[in-house]
Amino acid sequence: MSDLRHRAASLSPGFVPTAVLSILPVAAVLGIAMLAQLWLAPVLANAGADFFIKMGVDILVAMVLAISLTMVNGFTGQFSIGHAAFMAVGAYTAACIVYYGSYRFYGNANVQGGLVSSMVYGVRDVPWFAWADALFLGALLAGGLVAAGCGYLVGLPSLRLKGDYLAIVTLGFGEIVRVLVQSQTTEVLAEGASVTPDHLRMIPAWGSTLAVDDYITAEAIASAPVWVWPKYVGGALGFGGLPFYTSPFWVVLVAGLTLLVAFRIKSSSYGRAFLSIREDEIASEAMGVNVTAYKVRAFVVAAFFAGIAGGLFAHTVGVQLNPAELGFQKSFDIIIMVVLGGLGSISGAAIAAVIVTILPELLRTPDLLAASWPYGLGGVVLGAGLIGVLRSGGRSTTLGRAVLFAGLLVAGLGLLALWAKGSEVDLGRYRMVFFALALIAMMILRPQGLLGVGEIWDRSFWADLVARRSKGGVS
Amino acid sequence: MSERRAILEVVGVNKSFGGLKAVQDFNLTIREGDLQGLIGPNGAGKTTCFNLLTGVYTPDTGEVRVSGHRVEGARPWRIARLGVARTFQNIRLFGALSVLDNARLGCHLRVGHSFAGMVLRSVLHRSEERAIRDRAMDLLGVLGLADRAHEEAKSLPYGDQRKLEIARALATEPRVLLLDEPAAGMNPQEKVELRGLIHRIRERFKVAILLIEHDMGVVMNLCEHITVLNFGQTIAAGSPGVVQNDPRVIEAYLGTE
Repeated sequence: MSDLRHRAASLSPGFVPTAVLSILPVAAVLGIAMLAQLWLAPVLANAGADFFIKMGVDILVAMVLAISLTMVNGFTGQFSIGHAAFMAVGAYTAACIVYYGSYRFYGNANVQGGLVSSMVYGVRDVPWFAWADALFLGALLAGGLVAAGCGYLVGLPSLRLKGDYLAIVTLGFGEIVRVLVQSQTTEVLAEGASVTPDHLRMIPAWGSTLAVDDYITAEAIASAPVWVWPKYVGGALGFGGLPFYTSPFWVVLVAGLTLLVAFRIKSSSYGRAFLSIREDEIASEAMGVNVTAYKVRAFVVAAFFAGIAGGLFAHTVGVQLNPAELGFQKSFDIIIMVVLGGLGSISGAAIAAVIVTILPELLRTPDLLAASWPYGLGGVVLGAGLIGVLRSGGRSTTLGRAVLFAGLLVAGLGLLALWAKGSEVDLGRYRMVFFALALIAMMILRPQGLLGVGEIWDRSFWADLVARRSKGGVS
Repeated sequence: MSERRAILEVVGVNKSFGGLKAVQDFNLTIREGDLQGLIGPNGAGKTTCFNLLTGVYTPDTGEVRVSGHRVEGARPWRIARLGVARTFQNIRLFGALSVLDNARLGCHLRVGHSFAGMVLRSVLHRSEERAIRDRAMDLLGVLGLADRAHEEAKSLPYGDQRKLEIARALATEPRVLLLDEPAAGMNPQEKVELRGLIHRIRERFKVAILLIEHDMGVVMNLCEHITVLNFGQTIAAGSPGVVQNDPRVIEAYLGTE
């Protein structure tokens, strides 16, 4: 018996406190999700701020994606650039189950959910949680599991590869998924459409009741066997007619649980094993870490959460699930979040997800930005003052410089928006230019990303901001 | 005392890289409680031997046994689990992790809870995390690094980085510890301390030690048995006194007249 097991036996905590510590955060996430759905969202909706609800949903879905990619690119240091493919796999799996499943159980593809997935706020005559919500939840989980399975299949052979080679394999996988969906028929089985010979060939059971050019009925869709579902997902035109289940409740719940799992991994022995692979693979393996197995494990967990995020994305209000949207561009958006936040930092990825999701919206509707340039100037003045005060106190000027930089950024963007408004230029179309500039600035000013490998509440991060300068420094 | 169990046995191991015969017919037996040295001029194949023992390289021919298990061709992590730990000549710490986390990582291979248990925060997970922290702090204490537990590993001075590598290796609960030039870059004072430290480690952790070292003062004073390599061949093996007076060793180090 190892010394570790021996010591562990004597340090064992009680079952009850462990159970409480284990379950409490989950309950808290559930509570916050309910609060968001039943209080915050109605308040915002009543105030006419539906835009913010929509924004919040987008942000939280992006957050789940960024945090899941952090587990691969951040923790284990493997560079995957096909993360959107796992999202796509999860999205299409969930979409098939919800759409065709709804026909099976309810005879139509409308939202049948309870309060938790209702987006008509103020309605009270439905149950909190309906069976249709269970269908949606099951679809999300199924999407996550199928994506995780794909992660395993892709990861097992390819995670023996290093660096660029792995990146190319993941890129290839991403394109394969996109092209596979795009090359399907552009049809979704929908009521009222005509029966084609193709349908009768694919679904022989229809032959007894339907002939070519008959209208497709709800019963016919309900009777379509499971294995033809993936065939009729809309192909290049996108999967139209999906019910919108992705309410504030579901996104807060999933984002909260993703955060929780990510933090639990990072703060554990397994998390240190992941990070050790990123730091030095050879040393990690010499210390008994099965490097390949751990890389695959990180890849699978990340794919699982990306798949769930895909399911949420597919059922978001105003989204038509489309393979073109889940290609390389999407993968890159996620990578930008992870790199900006700091490779390995969960809170950094979360913050970057907020910024990267909001910025294009701000650029598209430049009024808010245009109005903010005076605040930016204020930030510049405040930052300059802080630098002076900190310097005279012999402390690190990092905090002052950060404020100064943020101020410059806001002022610059504000003035740009002001100009754009005047000359009617749509800045939103140039968002990739801004992201590219942001990445370049980041590589020069702060190559480790916003937070590096740490978290925002880590002592060292704040200590770094206000620390006394070392004696060797300029005073 | 006479029949101590063999932990690491190497029999007739050969390794070539292309036309270069890096190690030829290498034999070595390390028993419980041994403190052995492996020396030789630059490029003699010492580190290659370490890499053969720890699974970084696979021997072309020959046998390597750890506690009786054949391990030629086994992955390094598997050999580590059998109880062979090592340090590296060119330090390989996990630079961005804290000193404590480096030591804690060494404990990971003895962990008994599953990944799912970790995510669900099982009782075993929590007790083992406590034990890991406990063990890691003990080890840092033994090596005099406890005060620096929360610093980044890469910010440590060179000598402390070498000590941290030893702490991390000891955290894996090894039966044999392979030290690759532990005294490299140390000043004379530190070298004397290192000798005391290695003795203490052997007593306290009941671990056999094999060390590669260039510093003759350290090797001759410390080791009970020394193997000398030159151009991949074992040219002498025995107690420090025997090895020191072996003409082939003198020739390898000083050349012929």
